Order: sequence, then C-alpha cells, then structure tokens
Amino acid sequence: MRRKIPAVMLAVLMGVCALGLTGCAAKEKIKYQTTFLNLFDTVTSITGYEESEEAFNRTAARIHDEMEAYDHLYDIYHEYPDTVNLCTVNRRAGETVTVDRRIMDLLVFARQVDEFSGHRTNAMFGAVLREWHEAREYGISSPENAYLPDGEKLRAAEKHTGFDLIEMDEESCTVRITDPEASLDVGALAKGYAVQKVSETLPEGYLLSVGGNVVATGPKPDGSLWTIGVADPEKNGETYLQKVGIGKGTVVTSGDYQRYYVVDGTRYSHIIDPETLYPGTKWRGVTVICDDSGLGDALSTSLFLLDRETGQELLNRFGAKAMWIDADGKLLFSDGYERMGMDHEEDITGLGCTDSHLHRGGRAAGWNQPDDQGRDRGKRQPGHDGNLRKATSGCRQL
Amino acid sequence: MKSGRKTPGKDEFRFRKGDGVAAGAVVLAAVALLVCLLTANGGGSAGRAKIYQQGELIREVSLAENAEFLIEGEYRNTVTVRDGKIAITGSDCPGEDCVHSGWIFRPGRSIVCLPNRVEIRLEGTAGADDVDAVVR
Repeated sequence: MRRKIPAVMLAVLMGVCALGLTGCAAKEKIKYQTTFLNLFDTVTSITGYEESEEAFNRTAARIHDEMEAYDHLYDIYHEYPDTVNLCTVNRRAGETVTVDRRIMDLLVFARQVDEFSGHRTNAMFGAVLREWHEAREYGISSPENAYLPDGEKLRAAEKHTGFDLIEMDEESCTVRITDPEASLDVGALAKGYAVQKVSETLPEGYLLSVGGNVVATGPKPDGSLWTIGVADPEKNGETYLQKVGIGKGTVVTSGDYQRYYVVDGTRYSHIIDPETLYPGTKWRGVTVICDDSGLGDALSTSLFLLDRETGQELLNRFGAKAMWIDADGKLLFSDGYERMGMDHEEDITGLGCTDSHLHRGGRAAGWNQPDDQGRDRGKRQPGHDGNLRKATSGCRQL
Repeated sequence: MKSGRKTPGKDEFRFRKGDGVAAGAVVLAAVALLVCLLTANGGGSAGRAKIYQQGELIREVSLAENAEFLIEGEYRNTVTVRDGKIAITGSDCPGEDCVHSGWIFRPGRSIVCLPNRVEIRLEGTAGADDVDAVVR
C-alpha cells in the first residue's frame, strides 16, 4: 500500500505531463489566415500553421508576390511595364514573341489539356470567348441593356480558334499566333496552374484558396485533414452542400453560378461549350478532387461540358474524383468520392438569404442543344497514358 | 520521464521529498499550459468583425449591437449588423456578389466585395467542427 500511492501518483503525473506536452506541441504552431483581393480577379485566402505571426506573414507575402507574378504573366486583358505577357502575345499575333518560361510551361500544359478534353477546354478559343466576355462585362454593369453575342459573329470567330493556329518552340521559348484574329484565353486553367506551382514551394500545413480552387500542401500539424465545404449553388451565407477532407491535394469547382450574367431573365454562365458556342447547360456545377490544381481546373471545366460517362473516363485516366450537380440540384458522385458527414447543411442563418438571382432560367431562342456525341469525342485521345508529361522547357524565367 | 533512463525496478523505487517538489512543479506547469491552450482555442460565434479595404483595417464593429453604415470607395457598400450577424445588404458594384453572399456569424468567416476591395472578416478562427475553406 505504501508503495502503491507513489506509483499511482506517478501515473497521474505522467498523464498530466503528457497532456501538458501535447498542449505545448499544439501551441507551437498556430493557425493564421489572410486574404488578398488583387489576384486573378478573385478572392485569394491563405491559411497556414506557423510558430509566429511574423513567420506566417513572411510566407503569405511570398505567396502573394509569386501569385501576382503569375497573374501578370497570364493576364490577357492588360499589359504591364517591362513584362511580356499573354496580352502581349495576343496583341502581337503574327509575330514571334519570346516569353517567360512560366508562360511556355502553361501553354504546353494547355495544349495537352486541349487534347485530352477533346477540345472542350481549349486555350486557343479566345476569339469566341472574347465576344462572350464583352457581352458579359457589359451585361453585368448595365443589366437593363444586357445582350447576347451575335450568333453569326460567334460562328465567324470560331474559324479563328484551335491549337493549330499557334506555334510553340519550347527550346527557344518563343510563341507565334499565326492567325491575327486568333487569341489565347487561359481563364479555365491559369489560376489553378499558378496556385499549384506556388503551393509546391510551401511547407505542409498550408491551405490556399483562389476563387474556385483550393489547394492543401499537407495535413494540419496534428495530422488531421483540412475540411473543405462545397458551396451550394442555390444558397449563400454560411451554408454549403457538403464537406470533403483533404490532406495534400486540391478541390476545384466549376459552376454556372460563379460568373454569369442575365439576359431577359435567363442566366448565361462564363463556361462556353466549344461545341455549341454557348454556355454549357448539362450541369449546375462540377467539383473535382485530385492532386494537382492545374489538372483539377482543366478537369472541372471539361467535366462541366461533358456527359457523365465521358467525364468519368477522364477521371479514371487521371485518378481523380468528382461530384456533379445536375439541373435539378441532384448530386451524382464518381467512384471513390468521399464525403464527410451530411450533405445539405441547414440554412442556420435563418435570415432567408436564398438568392433570387440564382433561379434557373429557360433557354435562349436559337439555342443549340449540346451534342453528346461531340464531333471530336473519342477520336482524338492522345496515345500516352494518364500521366501528363511534365511541362518543362529549356527556356529561362525572364 | 522522456529520458532514455531505465525505469527503476519496483523494489528500487523510493518516493522522496525532492521528487514531490519536482512533481508539484511539473503539475503546475502542465495545468498552466492547459489553461493557456483552452483559452486560446475559443469557439462559438464571433463577437466582432474587422473591416478591411485595400488591405487596411478601416473599421471594427461589435456584432452585439444592431447597426447599419456605409463603406465608401470606388463603389458604396451598405453594411448591416443584426442579431449577431453581419451582411452587405446593399451595393452599387457590378454583379453585387457581396450582397448575394448573405449573412455570416461564425468566427473566421468573411464577406468580400471584390470591386470595392472590401473584406469583412469575423474575429477568431474556425471551430473544430467548421470548414477551413469553402470552394464555390
């Protein structure tokens, strides 16, 4: 008995110390968060576990600067002093332009995406996308005068699309758009590609969210997964459709509710189907989970425009998973798509924030039903396996 | 106890006065750490919102008092605080995505008006049961 008391005491002490030590370990790295509103025309949010606020701020500033460099290089709407960017390449169509390695690598990747998506995600589709961009920008700023791009104009523009209108030399890092009417638009890829590249330079325990792209660099310091809410197209506020957990990897969403405008009560999204030259209407949204955000961006856009079977083939090829939201709001899941907990979180705000702008409109006159047997489907699958060739070229970062 | 020293056998173990003092010190330290940890990880709903414009903190508001005010900039946002929640309830920015964001109240959540370069962020970090990010 005399001996037992100290033994019990020691056990209790060890327990308390262990708790204390875990306390120490958990206290070592604290969760910090910051937001930038000047990158890729969207909201960038950085969450990270660091030992001090200074350490976090240093890393966040570096992420900002690297993302800003990518943003400027991939910008197709503005040019910047002393920078040759994609806007320059488009403006100087017909000329051979020497570009930064980061542009070359993106374009090499974009060409692969164009191939495997059966040209659904086509970065040389700028001529058509420009018409829609103009109409959308005008329609958003002046809703009462919103208009649809002219069908004839769209069909004329379509003649100036496709990767056969651009010459790319990876060795010399030069590009030339051979048709002056053709142009690059990397809107479906650039953000995901850039955030992926930047995330690869970060330690574990960081979560980057750039618009519809979320990238985790590894689990939290306690080893747990990051919890990502997938937004509900019909709701807003704090509600989300469901949760998924990721340690290292990416969750990417493409949806018709992200960027759109309204003409005569009908909503027109920003994702244009190269088959119809009009916004895709097969799905409300597609969320892709995979290990590379550039690829995730490409897959979510492609799947948004493809039927489920063709989309599933793409997912199989790259070992990715997806959730589709159909026109009625029904959820469809690919193999291996794991949810955390329940779907459809209640609208706990209780303030009735359902957005009247998000109703589903009818079809516009003259609408062409997208053809499931798309003309390129299945014909142009490149011969190589699912692994994308690493886009590396001999040229230097300018 | 983290050292590589062998645990003394049962018969060798003697609890001495010095051990008691050391143990007491360790208990105190552990309890202090635990208290620190528990207070640091507060949960529940946020009490305050910080409002940033162009990355600068321009205003702090308590969610405990109902209020309505304007944020001027390139555009004009009307911010409403009601029943412990906050929202941008009016805006002349194109698209009005900020207004469509609805009401927020959980720590760590935010509403953004991109054209007006405004972010309303609720104080605190997300609770263990809350999401780390929302993909939309």
